[in-house]
Amino acid sequence: MKQIIAIAGTTIGEAIRRKVLLVILLVGLVFLIVAPSLGALSARSETTILRATMLGIIQLTSAVIAIVLTVYMIPNEIERRTIYTILSKPVQRWQFLLGKYLGAVGALALMMLFMTIVMIAVFTGMQNGDFGRAVTLAQATMMFFVQMSLLAAVAVCFSTFVTPLVNFFLSGGIYLAGSLFAPMFDSLSKQQNTSQFSKTVTWAMTTFLPNFSYYNVQNPLINPSSTIQNPMSHYLFATGYGLMYISLLLFIGHYMFDHREV
Amino acid sequence: MAAAIETQKLTKSYKSKQLGIVNVVDNLDLYVEEGEIFGFLGPNGAGKTTTIKMLLGIIYPTSGEGYVLGKEIGDMDVHKIISYLPERPYYYEHMTGTELLRFYDSLFGNNDPAKVQRLLERVNLAADATKTISQYSKGMQQRVGLAQSLLNDPKLLFLDEPTGGLDPIAHTEIRDLILNFREEGRTVFISSHELSEVERICDRVAIIHRGVIRRQGKLTELLKGGRVEVEAEGITKEFEDSIKIEGAIISLKDGRLIVDMPEEADVNSLLDGIRSSKGSVTSVIPRRKRLEDLFVETVRDSSRVSMAEGGVEA
Ligand SMILES: Nc1ncnc2c1ncn2[C@@H]1O[C@H](COP(=O)(O)OP(=O)(O)OP(=O)(O)O)[C@@H](O)[C@H]1O
Ligand SMILES: [Mg+2]
Repeated sequence: MKQIIAIAGTTIGEAIRRKVLLVILLVGLVFLIVAPSLGALSARSETTILRATMLGIIQLTSAVIAIVLTVYMIPNEIERRTIYTILSKPVQRWQFLLGKYLGAVGALALMMLFMTIVMIAVFTGMQNGDFGRAVTLAQATMMFFVQMSLLAAVAVCFSTFVTPLVNFFLSGGIYLAGSLFAPMFDSLSKQQNTSQFSKTVTWAMTTFLPNFSYYNVQNPLINPSSTIQNPMSHYLFATGYGLMYISLLLFIGHYMFDHREV
Repeated sequence: MAAAIETQKLTKSYKSKQLGIVNVVDNLDLYVEEGEIFGFLGPNGAGKTTTIKMLLGIIYPTSGEGYVLGKEIGDMDVHKIISYLPERPYYYEHMTGTELLRFYDSLFGNNDPAKVQRLLERVNLAADATKTISQYSKGMQQRVGLAQSLLNDPKLLFLDEPTGGLDPIAHTEIRDLILNFREEGRTVFISSHELSEVERICDRVAIIHRGVIRRQGKLTELLKGGRVEVEAEGITKEFEDSIKIEGAIISLKDGRLIVDMPEEADVNSLLDGIRSSKGSVTSVIPRRKRLEDLFVETVRDSSRVSMAEGGVEA
């Protein structure tokens, strides 16, 4: 356990010093700050659109950070041979992988927390101190955090056997497919006149791809079919689903990692 | 004495586009005794690092067996009492010397700042402990690497080219550290091609070339076969004829005698003979066999053999 925590801690330390991540974070923050002045919005829809915009900015920034952070993590350790010293100590490969993953999640948490604080500050400023409404925004970012943890697990899993560039597009593609197409396939399979073939494809896609759309709680405009009846139980379900999927991905990642040369 | 390292037919093959399957390490039978400094020598690409990585469980052997301190390779318990200094190591650059050592210490489940401080002092880095690794020179990085390899008070150390790329002063420092390890009863496995270095500190060596061990044994035995050259003046033809030394090359010109003989021959009685025949000894030069000679000889021989084998196949 100490080993895993130590590796995670070092990974966070390294991640928050990576210039490319800081630049992405900075871009995200700039957009958050200028967001309120972007649209000449009608007073009524202003709040709704501003909320959606800000959450969208956080989600996009976090997703890019999650992928960029993780695709290089394991390959870099191997390329720089830092992994050799670590694996020559009493550290099992699964401990190394888990430590790296938790470190990535920890770094993500820090960066997302930072963005959320800025968002709440900007939003509260706009709403003349309506702090209560701002806090509901934080709930959405909590769901994004679970989503990004899942995305990071996808990328970590792939990073044990594909190159960073391939992984970038692979994980990015799965994220997009899992966010946009899962609900689409869902509605498709409910229609009567769908062919058996598309039903099979739908079944396969929804079964094997992680359903990232569970976490898109911010915007019923994009995602009308998934109006949430009971937020609390949905949050719990989505978190459990995420944890299960993350475990599965890390398990596969460990299998691949354990059977390869480093 | 027990074996610190023992391998039986340890083999690692890689697929190569031109050559098909290549045994990078080929049926290696290695034997390292506890408490000795063992030199693992070979030209670039001989398979030294590959062997060490197999012994550490970082890569997996294609076939064969290996035992480290009595346990089969890959056994995690052994990792608590061994350590490794990789070749051209690289450490997390954002950490200071102290942070780095404390990180590695925690990988053993330990947290002992006093020990970290002691080790930094031991490798002469106490003054630079708060600099980050990115500010360290190559020599400092190598020394922090040695400190890292001592955290668990190891019984067995694997040092892959510990003096690679270092200046002569750093060389001597590191050599002294390694000699201390032996005094402390540790076994040291050094991969190197710094032959004069190895000759000074190693008890036994193995020479590996193209994945095959060509020589293995005690350095003193492997370096047998040196010669001694005795030069004298005022020597008569009769005396020259009376010299009976096996394997000696004798020449006499204008009363000047040169005897080039095996080092194990009886030098003293030759000197006595010269003096009692009123000749005078002008010089006695031992020409010890150097590790460098042995190395070059071994590698050259094995290249010749494998070229001949290649010729047969073709
Ligand atoms: N992953 C790999 N795939 C294919 N070939 C490899 C791989 N790793 C090493 N080799 C080959 O194995 C051979 C031995 O490499 P190794 O690093 O063990 O040599 P070495 O004796 O340590 O050399 P050096 O003194 O240069 O460090 C080399 O020919 C190298 O090209
Ligand atoms: Mg090497």
